[in-house]
Formats: sequence, C-alpha cells, structure tokens
Amino acid sequence: MSVTLPIRTSGDASSNRPKSNGLPHLSPAPSISQKPSPRSSQTSAQHSGDQRASLPKTKRRRCKSQYPRDSPERHVEFILVASFHIDRGPIMEHQYPGPISSDESMLAELMLPDQTHVRSQDWTMFFLHKDSGAEGEEEEQAGIKKKKKKKKRKDDLADATSDDGEGENDLDDESEEVTEGEQSSDEEDGGEGPPLMYVLNLVNTKQDNTVKRGAVVKAMAICTRHSFLHIYKPILLLALEDYFKSPYPDTLETLYNAVNAMDLSLMPRLNLLERQILQASNSKDMFIEKFEQMIEQRRTEDDELTETDEDNPPSPKKTSASPRYVLPRDTHEFESKIIYHDIPIPVKVPTVIWPEIVGDFSLVKLIQIFSAPHAATPQPFPLHSHLTTSGAYTHPIIVLVNAMLTQKRVIFLGHNRPSGEVAEAVLAACALASGGILRGFTRHAFPYTDLTKIDDLLRVPGFIAGVTNPTFANHPEWWDVLCDLPTGRIKISNHIEPAPVTDGLLYFQQQSPISVVGPNSDPTGDNLFMEDVLRSIANRYGENAIRAKWRAYITKFTRVAAAFEETVYGASNIYIIGPNEEITPESPSGLQADPADPTTLRGHGYVWPDESAKQRELMASVSRIEGWRTTRSYYSFIQDIAAMYYPARPILKPDLHHHHDRLRTLKLPPAEAGAIYVSFSHAIKDDAGICQLLTVTPESQAGLFYLAMGLLHPNQTVREATADLLERIALHPAGRHFWAQLNRFAKTAYFRIKRERDARDAGSLKSASDSFGPPQSLVGVAMSGVRSHGS
Amino acid sequence: MGGSVSKIMGKIFGTKEMRILMLGLDAAGKTTILYKLKLTNQDVTTIPTVGFNVESVTYKNVKFNVWDVGGQDKIRPLWRHYYSGTQGLIFVVDSSDTTRLEEARSELHKIINDREMKDALLLVFANKQDVPGHLSPDEITSALQLHKIKDKTWYVAPSVATDGTGIFEGLAWLSNNVKTSQSPPK
Repeated sequence: MSVTLPIRTSGDASSNRPKSNGLPHLSPAPSISQKPSPRSSQTSAQHSGDQRASLPKTKRRRCKSQYPRDSPERHVEFILVASFHIDRGPIMEHQYPGPISSDESMLAELMLPDQTHVRSQDWTMFFLHKDSGAEGEEEEQAGIKKKKKKKKRKDDLADATSDDGEGENDLDDESEEVTEGEQSSDEEDGGEGPPLMYVLNLVNTKQDNTVKRGAVVKAMAICTRHSFLHIYKPILLLALEDYFKSPYPDTLETLYNAVNAMDLSLMPRLNLLERQILQASNSKDMFIEKFEQMIEQRRTEDDELTETDEDNPPSPKKTSASPRYVLPRDTHEFESKIIYHDIPIPVKVPTVIWPEIVGDFSLVKLIQIFSAPHAATPQPFPLHSHLTTSGAYTHPIIVLVNAMLTQKRVIFLGHNRPSGEVAEAVLAACALASGGILRGFTRHAFPYTDLTKIDDLLRVPGFIAGVTNPTFANHPEWWDVLCDLPTGRIKISNHIEPAPVTDGLLYFQQQSPISVVGPNSDPTGDNLFMEDVLRSIANRYGENAIRAKWRAYITKFTRVAAAFEETVYGASNIYIIGPNEEITPESPSGLQADPADPTTLRGHGYVWPDESAKQRELMASVSRIEGWRTTRSYYSFIQDIAAMYYPARPILKPDLHHHHDRLRTLKLPPAEAGAIYVSFSHAIKDDAGICQLLTVTPESQAGLFYLAMGLLHPNQTVREATADLLERIALHPAGRHFWAQLNRFAKTAYFRIKRERDARDAGSLKSASDSFGPPQSLVGVAMSGVRSHGS
Repeated sequence: MGGSVSKIMGKIFGTKEMRILMLGLDAAGKTTILYKLKLTNQDVTTIPTVGFNVESVTYKNVKFNVWDVGGQDKIRPLWRHYYSGTQGLIFVVDSSDTTRLEEARSELHKIINDREMKDALLLVFANKQDVPGHLSPDEITSALQLHKIKDKTWYVAPSVATDGTGIFEGLAWLSNNVKTSQSPPK
C-alpha cells in the first residue's frame, strides 16, 4: 500500500484520483424510487444455476440468502495438522484437501506458539494473506482466490443497493452483481490485495512417557474466510482429540466434510442500512419478517423440487417435513449445526458481519485490562502529539486507539499468557479502532506471531501484533506502542518517530495562537467519553452496548475529520456533498434553498453547539486527524464513502444525520425545528428512506424521541407532518420496533393529532389542508410500508 | 510496595541484576538446568521447549533473569533476537553426545562472535556428567576450541542437571565475574 498517495483536496490540489475525490461526480439526481437500475440491462444469460428463481414468485420481493446453498464457496477451505518434532522443531503433518502453501514451516511455526509446552491446550488465530511481502505465503493460492473472493465482496457491496430499488433484481444471481460492482471493485478492495483467510488453530500438549522426551505436541487448524471463525472451536476440540487417536488424513477429511455441510442458506441477506439498524438494535425480532420469508421461500422450493428435478445433492432438508425450519430466537444470530461423527454441534452465526470484526473478542475485557492500573496509579506518558491527545495522562485506551488510527506499530505482549489471549486482544483492538467503519487494521494484524516472523513483521508499516515472548519488550525499536497484558500498562517507545508538522497544524496555529488547554479541560471529549464507557461497563451494560459506543465514537471521529478538512482545506475527501449543498459559510445550516421544496434544507456534517466549541474541538483533534490522513484506513475510507454513497443514502437531501443531530443537540427556535420536521416528513416516504432515518436514531441515542418532539410543535402543520412521518415509521417492519419503544407521552400526542385531524376532515369536505405533499390515506401508507416502491 | 522496598535494599546492599541467556543444542538440558535453579530441591522433568522459557533466580545477592531458548536447529536463527542486553551466556553441552560436539562448537562460535554478545561472560556447562561415555570438562574445552577465544572471560563447569550437581557453582562463577557496573552492553 501507500505508494504515491498523499493527495489533498485542498482548493489548489489537482486531484489525481477524481473518482475517490468524488463530490461532484456522483450524480445528485435521482431519488431512490425512480432510480433506474444500473444493471437492468445486464440481466441476460449469465446466471446459470438459477432457474428456480424464475419460477412463479411470491408477491413480495424475493429474499436472498447470505450463504446460498448452491454457492461454490466453501465454509472451510483447508484443514491443517502440525506437530513439534523433537529434532526438527515445528513441522506440518497433513493438509487437506491439498497443500495450502509452499511455506509449510512458516505455517507450522504459527500453529505451535511459543511456550505451548507449558500448557496442555492453547488457541491461536492468525491470518494468511499476500501482502507487503509479509507473511509472503500462498503466492499461487492467492492468485486464484483473489478473483473468487473479489466477486464475493462485490456482492456484499452491490447487495446493499440490490434490495432497495429494483424489482427486476429479484431474478439476480450473483454473477450479475459482479458487473455492477465492477467499477467500484478496486475501491472496495482498497487496493489492499486479496482478502484474508482466517485460521483458527488449536494446539494440545500431551505428556506421554512412552515417547522420546516425554510429550507429544500437535496442532490442528481450520482455514476459513468467515470472520466468525470462533464457531469452530467445539468441533476443533473433538477433531484434534480424534487426530491424536488416529493421525491420518481421514480424520481431516471427516472434519472437512462436516464443517462444509453446515447449512446457513436460510439466513437472509440484509442491505447496508438494514445491517446498521439490526446491529444498533436490541430487539430480538428485528427483521424477523425476512427470516420468515426465507423459510416460506424454501418451503415453496422444496415442494417444487420434489415434483420436478433432483439435481440438488441429496440434502436432508428435502426428505423431512417443513416444520424443521425454525425461526431464530434472536435475529442477531442464526442458529445452525455441524454434525460431526453423528454428534450435532450447535453453532450461532452472526447475521450482521462488519469489516474488521473477527472472532469472539471482548472490548469490555480489553478496556478493563488497560483501565484498571490507570485508574489506580496513573502514569504519565511521554508526549507525542498523535497519541497523547489529552496530555500526559491521556487514557491508555485513547492512546491505543490514536496509535491505531495514526498507523503506529502496536504490540500486545502477554508473557506467560496463552497465545489465544493476546490474539483476542489484537482482534479487540482492531474492532476498537475500526468501529466496523474504518478498514485496514485486521489486514495488518498478526493476532499471534513470534520471533520467527520478526523480519517480515518489521517490513509492515503500522502493524498490530500479539506476542507472548517478553523479548519484544527489550526491543523498543520494533514497536511504537507496547501494550503489556499482564500489567495492563501501555508504553510509548522512545524510538517512535515524532509527528510531522502539517498544513492543518500550521493553519490552526495561525488561526488562534492561544491554545488554553488547562488540566481540567477536555477539548476532545475523550475523557468524558471514557468515563461514560467505564461507567457503562461498571453498570454491566453488555458487550454490544460498548461496541455501539465505540462505533459512535469512530463515526464521530470521521465526521469531525470531515469538518476539519472543510475548515482547513476547503473541501473534504470523506464527505460527499448532497445535491443541494454547497460549502460556503454564507449558506448556514437550516437555510431552505428552494422555498417551494422543504427537502432542500441546507447543512451537513457534525453538529457543534457553537462556533467556538467547534474550533476548540478541531484544534484539539488536529494532530491525530492529520496523522490519520496519511494512513491506509483513511484512504480505504475515502473509497468506502464513495462506494456507499447511494446504498447508504437513499435520501440525498436533506442530510438526515446532520439535521437530526441539530434536533438532538441544539436548542433550535421553533421555526427552524419545524422546518426540519416538515423536511423529514417530505423526504422520507419509502422503505429505504425510513431505514436511513432509523440508522441515525439508534435506541442507544433515545430512538425516535427527538423526532416525536415534533408532535408538540406549536405549528399545526409541523405536528401533522411529524405524525404522518411517525405513522409511516410505525408501519415499517423495522420502524415498528422503534415506534414501540417510544414513550407513552409522545404516543398520546400522536393519537390526539390524528383525532383532531380526523375530526376536522370529517367536518370539512376539502380534505387534508396539507399545504405540502399529496394526501395519503391510511391504507395507502400501509401499502407503501409493504411494497414501498409503488410511486 | 514490596518490590520497591527490595529495590531500595538492592541499591543499598548492591543487589545486582543480570540478564542471562542460556543456549545449546536441543536436548542438552537447558530447561532442566533452568528449573533446577528455580525449584532447587524438586525433581524436574521437562519436555521439548517450544519457543523459550524465562525465569528469575536470586542467588548470592544476584538476581539472574535466565532465558532458556529452544535448541532445534530450525529455530536457532532466532537466538540472535535475545542477544541485546545479555550479560552472560550459558552454553549447555551434552557431554555424552560426542557426535554433535562439532555442531555445538560451530553454534557457540557463531554466538560469541556476534557484536551484541562481545561483552557477555561465557559459562559452559559440560552437562550429563552422569551418563556413561561422557567427556570431561577439559575434553569439552578443547572440543569447543575455547582456547581460541580472545577477549572473553569463559569458564567450563561440569554438571549433572537432573540432580543439580554443579549448576550453582556455575552461577557463582557468573556472579563473581559480572562487572560491578550494571550497565548493559553499549
């Protein structure tokens, strides 16, 4: 990566990458309902095995599977077994179905972590990729897989749009989405090369007096492209035990077949907005409709199958009756099972998969480890402007996140700890910095590594590595930040490169030379944020709540960074300006550009209570934002922003997030607030629009509360507009959960408004004195909730 | 608290701290020596070291941080990462494994010729003196060509790691010869 990058979208910079720079290129024109399907023209002959889909369909759009039954992609691609040979060290014993890479010894070393001889069992995780020369294995392999996987990722991306606008899309098979995703494919990969292969590894040490030197050490690993690789833990335990008894390739084959027979085909595929909503929600039956629909579709298919062809491989599904399909108890996870030697092993697969979220780590644990010693006896850090953003006593977790955001070399050291523990910490750190939003961390993460890979490791600019060997602590030239798990202390290396002086830094120094940062001030808000996180942990909020907070933190970071870029450079690489926006200080937020169109409300981005608060926060964040602006995660983010512009924003105007933030954080005069409610009610009509709105009103931020305030607005028009909007939300499959959580006070207001209007309507013949929007009957609204794309 | 008190005591009474690196071919007895030092009166059974072991042992007012690194030939290239800051090298030889003495000699000379090891003391344990057919310390000395070594303090101590014979004598030699200044090598 990072070949000839640094481009800046300042006024003068002639951008050499117009595509990612984006702003004017993405056509502002169509709203989602009229949007022509870009791939309707390509519907032709590509799809091969999908005759089924052209059979008579249900009235609703067909719900697609995340893991279709006929997918050529296997859950698990390789099974490996390595052992520690008393004369030769780590060696590879078997690989199934074939050799995974030419560098067997490298893999064998990873599979047998340091000090595995002092514990009977240890888990590790590592990633295989061909990247920056590090871990340079599987050259040949990667070439083949690259294509296959690229396609898959395109699907993921394309799929975000696919469910939204287009009716003809129902027939799509994957092959088609490739064509659509084509132009965005390079961005999607972030120029980062082939996707990762995740390896879950179990190593056992068995004392055995009958063998030379008294012990046998063997390790078995599962190589998969699923980021939820932890589901394979139970089966790996059983299989390695079996392998000790019968150390032959047959044992691997049995395991391979068992894990690949796992059926996830009833898991519906959600689009980007739906995924965000589900993730942020605690409702256990959010989007249950989609699961129901999957089952319904499967039953229809089963019926057809039994009548017509038998080309499917014999599946147990067909023979048994339909009641076998059960709805998940919690739609956040899909329950399936792996049958190994006739033992059904239940597995739970997450419905929503975010980038950079790998395995089953715990953010809570990571935060606690590094917070407790800091709380007890805080130690000052040596100052580094990228890292110690709140001075010498910056919270260690913030130092860690800053280090990751500014692409420092981070090592987690767990001497005398199982290697699984350091691996977990690394994965948690990646999730912390990514928030599921930024990318480029796991790709440069080495959840477990050891001295044998040190030369390769040091070739990676900005890595996150887990080690158990304390000799790493004696080499401060190898790392910038060292996180010691046993002591819970974070160290900044004395070899760390000082932060360069940048344009942004100078800009702020010129702007306001007085930077009054007292010991108690908290201009970045990080201290407050960490207090909040720690309080939530102490009050036993779950892992999900903490992850949501970090997601919000990273979202905020990116939005502040966008505001920073606009301030310093005049435009931002990471915010795409909507169709009726312009960046001029002369058009303040809340201005309605076109008096006839309430949706042309100006304003975008992060909301500060006032200009000085904004300046303060920007100034405090200059260093790490500037540090971030040269990293991999920044460049991937630019590409993601461009790629997700339409999928994530069916409503281009107004900026829902911005204006909802204004309702939430500002004390707006009634007229301005009213404009927002009316604008929202006008803009948000269809399914996708409601989804977009729901992503900015997560439960953790009071849900629909601030919107419902519009029900109490002094102006009747505003009240009724809000009521219309809430009605649409209440009838929406996801929105209904949000409606249900709304407080009774708001609901009472809602019903009063409805009553008043009904009474008035009944009184006078001229229906609905709405000055805006077409009158909508209840029935019409209900139908649009289901079909949503009639107009 | 306790740690800081003993640190102060250390300053007053001159407790030294020494980083020791213990190397040798596989199955020479390194891990056994390490744990015999640590757990003086217990029987020690070991299995091959995957990676390394590290323990601290205090003996005669010297705190030894002893690193024991696995010896299989494939993992020997990793030894160099442990050199920096090492004040004493313990090289363990299986005195009965005469066929691999040449291999041991070559590995040893590779280590001590490294720039980072030039200030380190060298203690050789002629281990497994209880096994029939073993060589004496003198024979080991010449087999390892220790006389060729210039500018280095070295010593060969006979030992039987499994019952602890000789190993504390070796440590005593290290603590007597370590330079009083605790400065790590430049």
